[in-house]
Amino acid sequence: MGYLKLLWLFIKVGLMRQMAYPPHFFMMIIGKVIRILLLFFFFQAIFLKVDRIGKWSFEQVLLLFATFHMVDFLMSITFQRNLVQSLPRWVQTGELDTRLLLPINHLFLVSFENIDLMDLFSFIPSLVFLGYVLLNLPITLSWLQGFLYIILVLNALIFLYAINLIVATLSFWTTQSYGIGRILDNLFKIGRYPLDIFEGFWRAIFIYFFPLVVIAQIPSQALLKILSLKSVFFAFMVSGVSLIIAIKFWRIGIKNYLSAST
Amino acid sequence: MKAIRTKGLSKRYWFYKKEAGLKGSLKGLFRGEKVFVEAVRGIDLEVEVGERIGFIGPNGAGKTTSLKIFSGILYPTSGELEVLGYLPYKREKRFLSQITFLSGQRNQLFWDLPAKEYFNFCREVYHIPEGEFKKNLKRLVELAEIEDILNVPQRKLSFGQRKRCELVAGMLHDPKLIFLDEPTNALDLINARKVREFIKEKAGEGRSTILLTSHNMTDIENVCDRVVIINRGKIVYDGKIGDLYRLNGFKRKVRVVFNGVWDREGVEKLGRVLSFNGQEVFMEVASEEIKRVTTELITHFPIQDIKIEDPPLETIIESIYKKEAEELHLS
Repeated sequence: MGYLKLLWLFIKVGLMRQMAYPPHFFMMIIGKVIRILLLFFFFQAIFLKVDRIGKWSFEQVLLLFATFHMVDFLMSITFQRNLVQSLPRWVQTGELDTRLLLPINHLFLVSFENIDLMDLFSFIPSLVFLGYVLLNLPITLSWLQGFLYIILVLNALIFLYAINLIVATLSFWTTQSYGIGRILDNLFKIGRYPLDIFEGFWRAIFIYFFPLVVIAQIPSQALLKILSLKSVFFAFMVSGVSLIIAIKFWRIGIKNYLSAST
Repeated sequence: MKAIRTKGLSKRYWFYKKEAGLKGSLKGLFRGEKVFVEAVRGIDLEVEVGERIGFIGPNGAGKTTSLKIFSGILYPTSGELEVLGYLPYKREKRFLSQITFLSGQRNQLFWDLPAKEYFNFCREVYHIPEGEFKKNLKRLVELAEIEDILNVPQRKLSFGQRKRCELVAGMLHDPKLIFLDEPTNALDLINARKVREFIKEKAGEGRSTILLTSHNMTDIENVCDRVVIINRGKIVYDGKIGDLYRLNGFKRKVRVVFNGVWDREGVEKLGRVLSFNGQEVFMEVASEEIKRVTTELITHFPIQDIKIEDPPLETIIESIYKKEAEELHLS
């Protein structure tokens, strides 16, 4: 079966699940919209006090912010909950057994089984916001820039997928990796600020050791015409290497899976 | 090709042992005792296609672990293994499309959605052609008696109803190899009977090889023709159920009703008399003697009725466990 068809099936099942409880369904929509509005207010509040962050102007930071949250919502619609919450739970309780018995790619299954389209109610406002920011930026955009931006956003998703997968697979050895997942989630959030706010050691850490620049900063730079070729290569290399390591982790982890007693 | 072939199959794993209480938990954070468990120890097994095997043993004997290795859920630590011509732990799609594993204790369905949705999911995942799917579904739904609950969300169903839905889901792709891990566990009498009948019917079709673990000997006797008893990770008996009765000098009970009144002395020569009232005798006879004794009874006594009772399977199996434990104690 084509994996796109399977993905469509997961989307349908996910929606049916959400709609199984009507009050919850409507409260979720309200919650998601409130969440994105609060984020906008939070950012606006910061810029009431300052007009620049490092070398980044207010409009540029807004672009970074919009890009980060677009990536963040795409991640939570697709693989984040599956990897960070569900996989460790399935490993702990042995519920992974039934999934390993299905004749489909198991990594695909555990990554996308629960597609949460409810986050579209956060994602779409962030997309609209991105459009608004782009219209207000004092630059003219070319198709090439737009294309590069989309590629780099997808690249950011690959990087985030790899990191989430590495953390999730730790549960094959530790049985529970929720704590690490929380740390990671908070670390990711740093990626919505220009890394100019960090200096020296921390700046090096967030660029090279835990390259948060890949998530939103490098894609945003593509639109702001301040992106170097070196950064593009760096972003692709970081995601590629992370993905290879993550798949290796998965393969070793699944070999060490012990299930749970019944 | 064998359905299952193993040689020296073993599974070893470890965990940190923790002492009870808060103090024990705190200690366990830094100095947990590493405990190694030999869950399966050198299993040699050959299963022919179409055989129906009861995999029995006490809790923690290694039954479920073995089944999980055979189905590819777990990697074996060592030994040879081939199932339907595949290495299960490679989890190839072709292999997984030919097996099913149903656990009595684990939920497989979409919790918030009706079983029908999960059946449709199975159709997609197993690539079941539309016509075949409809035919199989109709037959299995009738067999499991779940016609009236197909559209009810799983969370609203009783445990037994959910188990019957799972049976249907697991059989939709017509698996060649069926693993059933305690399928009637925790079910009430009615649901257990329905599940048992379902499995018996599937077994009767003779197309699939079945490996069934259960603590309920009725499940085993209903479905299986061969029994593998496993204890502490090792196979301690592998043979036909009937042969189990001849093990360890088990006695069979014979109840005879005579035409008229008869003399006790005449029957006492044939076996140990448990009760006698002139017209009816209830006696105990060694398994290997049963043929000779019944022939003699029929030849020399005017018999109205004769009935031979086997000891309960549970008793035989319990005695095998006890014998194992004694041997271990002595060694």
